[in-house]
Amino acid sequence: MLRRWREKRGARPSPDTLMPPEGVPLTLPIAGVGVRLAAQITDIVITSIAAICLLILLLVINLTSPQTIVAVGALLFFLIRVPYYICAELAWNGQTLGKRLMKIKVVSHDGGPLTAHALVLRNMMKEAEVFLPGTLLLTLNAATPAESLISLGWILMALLIPVFNRYRRRLGDMMAGTHVIHLPVPVLLKDLASEAPLPAQNAKKIIFLAHQLDHYGAFELQTLESLLRSQDKITSPAAAKQQQATIEAIVEKIRKKIGYADPVPPADRLRFLRAFYNAQRKHLEQRQLFGDKRENKHYAQSSEEA
Amino acid sequence: MNGDELIRSARFRKEREADWQRLEQLVLAAENRGLQHMEFAETRDLASLYRQATTSLAIAREISLDKALLGYLEALTARAYLCVYAPQQRLGGLIERFFTKSAPQAMRRSWLYILLGFLCMALGAFAGYLLYFENNDWFYVFMPEELSGGRGPDATTESLLDSIYGHDTGTSGLGAFATYLFSHNTRIAIFVFGLGVFACAPAILLTFYNGLMLGAFVAVHIDRGLGPDIAGWLSVHGVTELSAICIACGGGLQLGAALLFPGDRTRAEALRHAGRDAVKLALVAAIMLVAAALLEGFARQLVNDTGTRLILGWGIGALWLAWFTLAGRERT
Repeated sequence: MLRRWREKRGARPSPDTLMPPEGVPLTLPIAGVGVRLAAQITDIVITSIAAICLLILLLVINLTSPQTIVAVGALLFFLIRVPYYICAELAWNGQTLGKRLMKIKVVSHDGGPLTAHALVLRNMMKEAEVFLPGTLLLTLNAATPAESLISLGWILMALLIPVFNRYRRRLGDMMAGTHVIHLPVPVLLKDLASEAPLPAQNAKKIIFLAHQLDHYGAFELQTLESLLRSQDKITSPAAAKQQQATIEAIVEKIRKKIGYADPVPPADRLRFLRAFYNAQRKHLEQRQLFGDKRENKHYAQSSEEA
Repeated sequence: MNGDELIRSARFRKEREADWQRLEQLVLAAENRGLQHMEFAETRDLASLYRQATTSLAIAREISLDKALLGYLEALTARAYLCVYAPQQRLGGLIERFFTKSAPQAMRRSWLYILLGFLCMALGAFAGYLLYFENNDWFYVFMPEELSGGRGPDATTESLLDSIYGHDTGTSGLGAFATYLFSHNTRIAIFVFGLGVFACAPAILLTFYNGLMLGAFVAVHIDRGLGPDIAGWLSVHGVTELSAICIACGGGLQLGAALLFPGDRTRAEALRHAGRDAVKLALVAAIMLVAAALLEGFARQLVNDTGTRLILGWGIGALWLAWFTLAGRERT
């Protein structure tokens, strides 16, 4: 039963992918509830600070009296908050200050441009979904337990709707036809394979034979890539020592697995790993071009099963 | 290391790297400055480099096992996609278009729902009025204590008159404005709109209940022979404010109806479709509520004559009606 359910889920396309007119599926990861809550809290803090500043200004120039301070404060917060969300998302194309801080962005569900209508709608529904029951909950007290419970249930429901749908959309998102994504940050790291090899003082070139490269798949290769990239980041001597031990263990493991007979001296370990990475990547990519895709080291078994 | 010694995917990357970095710069420029403020050559390059990058991504997925390269291309093409296909929309004329075209058009399109909203309110008022004359105690059932402010079946005629014409509030203008805006009716309006999504029923009930209160309240005054006075007192802001509640109810009903009767669409899609007009109705209701609070906070204290009050209230009501019916008509 569970398995069939999983298969059914697997058949649908991942919510993170989007098919552009170019026909190459792109990845726009959906932002989770936690990061959106953090952005929301940031925005609430920003708007309430603005409201409090204005309120103090009004008090100083005697435009309001202490009796009406709560009503005026609520009005100011409301009058700042509603235009803030709409104007910020209009001006920054789907980002408020909190969203910019968290590097998330509102996009249209169909991948097109964000219309003003959609942004106004999703932010007005935020008023009905979050702020109205929120203020109710704050103003009610123990004397009215029924109302408190109802508004608490309302908030819970508003928070639970995003958890239970694939695109993490709240009610306003559904009505406006939008969802929220993580803005991907392109960082181009250098290519390990094109780097100049470590200086080798009259050491012999490390060469691997074809059968020695048949043991690993793409997953192991990319794990090795992460290890080699993390070399530059080590600063403290304790971490460096630990790294040395890890590398020694890995080199021995690889040697044993692929049957590389020559011992590798400690100074040459990193050079050995880089040479192995290059050779293994070249080999795997070549196999892949011939239609032999090797996901991981169990590729041989999985191809037998299929 | 020269080019011959490089493995195939590294050569692939070396040939295209400069283009990708140029695309990255263009994407940053487009996000910061907006497409409208970019040079012609830059936007042209952005579009063509984006298409090249998607091709590169498709090839890299097939031939390269370099995780860093794949991650970079995924992120870069996704960012560039957003720049090319989901750019910032022009904002000029947005407010003007709302007032002159889209809002009145939306009002006319959803006339049926607004009519239903008014009907709920009127039925409620009628029921409240009749119930009051059947038994005075109904007033206390409908009316919360803090809202009536001592005005009820037990109050003397003088005190009722005093609250109609007297300067009842000692607060300053701004404070009064704020209290009125956040008074009962605004909350009701937000509720009826927001609750309409939950299958109409709460919106109808709330509007009906609001009508009940109105009917009972008017009945108290008519019972004492203060009919014209209460009409003037209510007209100043009530025409605008009660209409706003009915319009908000209409918006809520539209959403609820989409949820109950989605027709050929899926429910989410129907909701999205109904939202187009409903949000405009809610905006119109919000504007009317602010206007009503201004009238209630300032104008009602200044104008103390029943005739003028009637003219002011219904004149403003006629202005609203003219806006909804006349503005934004296509020339035929």
